[in-house]
Amino acid sequence: MAPSGCVTDSIHPSTAPEVEEKDLRPFFVLHKASSRKKDRTPTAQAKLCKTNELSSSPESVKKLGGSMTEGCDLHLFQQLQIEAFDIVWEKIESTIKGVLRDLNANVFNSIQQWVLECFNTTKLLGQHTIAEATRSFPVLNNTTHGQLFTAFIVTRNIEFVDDMLTFEELGHFLKSHGCHVAKLSSLEFSLKNGIAGCLKALLREFVGCVIDSADISILASWYREHVNYNKPLVLIINDLGRCSGSVLTDFILMLSEWIVKVPIIFIFGVATIVDTPRNILPSHALERLCPSSFMLGTPAERMDAVVEAVLVKHCTMFSIGHKVAVFLRNYFINQDGTITSFIRALKVACLLHFSMEPLSLIHGRALAEDQKEGKSAVSPETLLKYIDELPLYARNQIADHHTKKSTAEALSELVTMQKLWSTAVLCLYEAGKYSRVRLLDLFCEALSQDKYLSTGPDCRVGNERNCGLSSTNDSCQQYSIMQSGGYIGQIVRNVRDLPAVMLYQLIENWEKLTADISEIHEKLKVLQSSLRCEDGKSPRKSSKDNPKRYASRISVNTDKDARMLNSQAIAFLNCLVGNFLKPIEGMPFHEILCFKNVEKLQLVLIGDPRRRIQVDLLEFHKILRCSCCSKNGNALLPSRHDSSIMYSLAQEHGDLINLHDWFQSFRSIVLQNKNKRKQSAKQSPQPKKRKAINGSADQNEASIQARFCKAVTELQITGLVRMPSKRRPDFAQRIAFGL
Amino acid sequence: MDTNGSWDEDEDEEFEFSRNYFLAKELASSAKKSKHKLTDIDVVDEQELREAASRIQPKHGDDIALLLDSYKTMYPEWLLALRCGFGLLMYGFGSKKTLIEDFALTALTEYSVVVINGYLQSINLKQAMIALAEVLWDQMKTKRRVSYRELPKSQLNSQSMEELLTFLDQAEIDDVDFFVCVVIHNIDGPGLRDSETQQYLARLAACARIRIVATIDHVNAPLFWDKNMAHTQFNWCWYHVPTFAPYKVEGMFYPMILAHGSASQTVKTATIVLLSLTRNAQSVFKVLAEHQLSHPDEGMPISDLYSVCRERFLVSSQVTLNSHLTEFKDHELVKIKKHSDGQDCLHIPLTAEALQKVVLEIN
Repeated sequence: MAPSGCVTDSIHPSTAPEVEEKDLRPFFVLHKASSRKKDRTPTAQAKLCKTNELSSSPESVKKLGGSMTEGCDLHLFQQLQIEAFDIVWEKIESTIKGVLRDLNANVFNSIQQWVLECFNTTKLLGQHTIAEATRSFPVLNNTTHGQLFTAFIVTRNIEFVDDMLTFEELGHFLKSHGCHVAKLSSLEFSLKNGIAGCLKALLREFVGCVIDSADISILASWYREHVNYNKPLVLIINDLGRCSGSVLTDFILMLSEWIVKVPIIFIFGVATIVDTPRNILPSHALERLCPSSFMLGTPAERMDAVVEAVLVKHCTMFSIGHKVAVFLRNYFINQDGTITSFIRALKVACLLHFSMEPLSLIHGRALAEDQKEGKSAVSPETLLKYIDELPLYARNQIADHHTKKSTAEALSELVTMQKLWSTAVLCLYEAGKYSRVRLLDLFCEALSQDKYLSTGPDCRVGNERNCGLSSTNDSCQQYSIMQSGGYIGQIVRNVRDLPAVMLYQLIENWEKLTADISEIHEKLKVLQSSLRCEDGKSPRKSSKDNPKRYASRISVNTDKDARMLNSQAIAFLNCLVGNFLKPIEGMPFHEILCFKNVEKLQLVLIGDPRRRIQVDLLEFHKILRCSCCSKNGNALLPSRHDSSIMYSLAQEHGDLINLHDWFQSFRSIVLQNKNKRKQSAKQSPQPKKRKAINGSADQNEASIQARFCKAVTELQITGLVRMPSKRRPDFAQRIAFGL
Repeated sequence: MDTNGSWDEDEDEEFEFSRNYFLAKELASSAKKSKHKLTDIDVVDEQELREAASRIQPKHGDDIALLLDSYKTMYPEWLLALRCGFGLLMYGFGSKKTLIEDFALTALTEYSVVVINGYLQSINLKQAMIALAEVLWDQMKTKRRVSYRELPKSQLNSQSMEELLTFLDQAEIDDVDFFVCVVIHNIDGPGLRDSETQQYLARLAACARIRIVATIDHVNAPLFWDKNMAHTQFNWCWYHVPTFAPYKVEGMFYPMILAHGSASQTVKTATIVLLSLTRNAQSVFKVLAEHQLSHPDEGMPISDLYSVCRERFLVSSQVTLNSHLTEFKDHELVKIKKHSDGQDCLHIPLTAEALQKVVLEIN
């Protein structure tokens, strides 16, 4: 929880002056930046925080948060949060970028090859002297038009937002390989912009300065300049589907006439189907294109790669709890399906982690220091060091439960267990590749505390024993995992039926994955040695043998032996799940690294104005917590907010609300109040008030009508009610039905 | 598995939604449709209505003030999100104008803040961008940061939208904490609703030196933004902050539903207009009104009106009739409808009862 600022002055909307002049100006400068600037170096702040330790009474975090603001300025505390967030997020972001770049590397290389080939072909079209090439009309000796080489990049994605980064990267990649690259967005090919707008944008991208006249000969002469010449010109348009067909047609026709002087190569992004161009372009434009197509990876593949790098391999040690993982997974699968939104969700989770969990500060600072020293992840020693430098109230949280020594032990266990956990997940994923299990699914399951506990302590003890690998007596444990359902069960069942060749391949891969982790590697070695014993021929070099030779050997063996092998592999997996798949949430100090608050994440990430604004209106009294309106449960009391009464009344109507009826029911509810108050006023000794209430009937009527009008206006602002149309002047229209 | 669970939930939700819609439709058709008319309400004088509206005392003033105060504890969290590069989007019922201006005044003192009043009918976004650029320019000058273009401040006025956006981006400045904050009241307001403006706002939000704090009130406001705008450019953090404060300024430009000021004519306004015209003009209107009262479903062809008026010596030529008609049309006393045979017909946009009252009044 972030420390709260002191609340001294309050906002009074009712006492605010009526409409001010500035409210009617389209925009105005509220204030300029004050020149007050704080010392923002992290060490200075850390020291400041440290020297400000005065009290050490164990209070609740929140209260201490408040007291901390007095000692260690809120601003400095926030500065620490920001730095931590920046360090962690920067690392995650660059990791993600790297992963996606690697995924695309093959496609990018083949595109670059293709660009070179196309360029060489077009070069042959015309070798002209400078005098010829700068003539104002296009040089074409033959009457046929040139064809424009075009690559259609199938993004296999319905949303173009994920691919914007890909195309940006492609642009950089081609640029670094000596091409001139222009990137135009599909929005530029709109009817409003027209062909002139496109040309200007093209010139802006290639030539690099703003040119008022849309003349392609400018581009031709620019290209003819010595520094620019002899490099391919590539034009990338990221989403063909959103371009205006007619503008694009003109554009293609024009460029195809200039192909000799300006040998442009097109790269178009198309979403899922290859025939998008056919839907957009007429045949005479299509015949000017000489198409090739390239495929990008699917969103699910990219997703798995991102999850692997960021959440399983823990590039920053930042991790998320089980509920958060399930939420993110459902958000990806059910709602959005784009990597961009998943990454954003992760970023918000990261922000909230640092914003709500004081212990998280250690995380960012330790990571920064370890990065400086060239370590790949956070080490327990650095964590411990920064616990000492934590703001006081956060440290108290720890001091309540642990001595310094036990803190150090717990921290180092946390870091080791995290490593073991991620290796175990990676091994399972490797096995899961044969049964097409998605890493994201597996990841969610591996974080589940219930799942881990359900394997039970007996099972783990059993596993300890059977990791001695006497594969004959392990049947009960194996079956418990196999029958447990879920993705892990599916993986294990699949390993049971895996053919020998694949199994050997799998074991090879496991060996690579576990190379640095001695605890797991030991177990794997036991498995391998038992293999050799069964193999019985060459115990010395088996692990370095290639799988094919294994396979040829195994084929000699009997069916029974092969089954034995599979069950030993299962025993290995069993052992991984039982011993190492311990979710982070169950460990002490996981708060430092792990974000768990799924409700908050959901609120900040997905606003749901449609539902929540209606709830505001219908359950007004619950939000305001006033005693007067919640007396009779959900009954409509006149003391409720006018718009709230009106909206509740609107629920009784169909899709059309008769204004007259609406008004009458509103009036009766409001007057019900008046009558009651009149009755009570008789007993009350306040004649003045009564006078005010009993003011002339006309005035009452006017005020009720005015309130009705105002409430309708407010509902109109929220968009929940549409005004009467000319066709139906007596009815307003309801927009939302149900929450 | 929980996948299935969530799918089921989603489907249920969807089902519930459509069911509600059809239930509402059914309710509308099955229950006998109320025949009551808006005109049945005995509406008080418009002037009186407006006065009463300005005198409305907000209910629960104290509770609302407490609610607003309770949001103050959120200020550090909002500031953190803003400084980490997110945009803030506030939603919930009630005017959030006071709330976010208070946030800007107390928590954002170290940053320049420009307010855009999106609830106004028309906003020149370019002017606002120029103002933003000027503020940023001043800020850079005081911090002694030199812009790469060495652009004199006076030239900002003549920059194009693209150039202004590039200026506001200033990507090469390394300090993430160097930005101008833009407070947009009602980013879903009428003046900002078109898609081009929203595109520009999204690009503005994506500029490195700009942070946006915005409010929405319309339940469908998120439909303005595609995924690129919402996720990468605006990069919203949503905060639900119902205030229940009255929409004083925001509602100023909406017509009062009982005042009829703009949409349809009332007896009163029609009478006032007619009484200010000449006797002949009034008589012409009466001819038209009589025709409409006797043939309520069809309009009156202009030629017919002309011949009747000529017979009664109300007009001497087509030209005079036309001048009267223009007068009527200007005051929306008469509308022209195409008859099914293609003829232009005149029609008074008033109900029969209202029309009778008008005729009585001008007699």
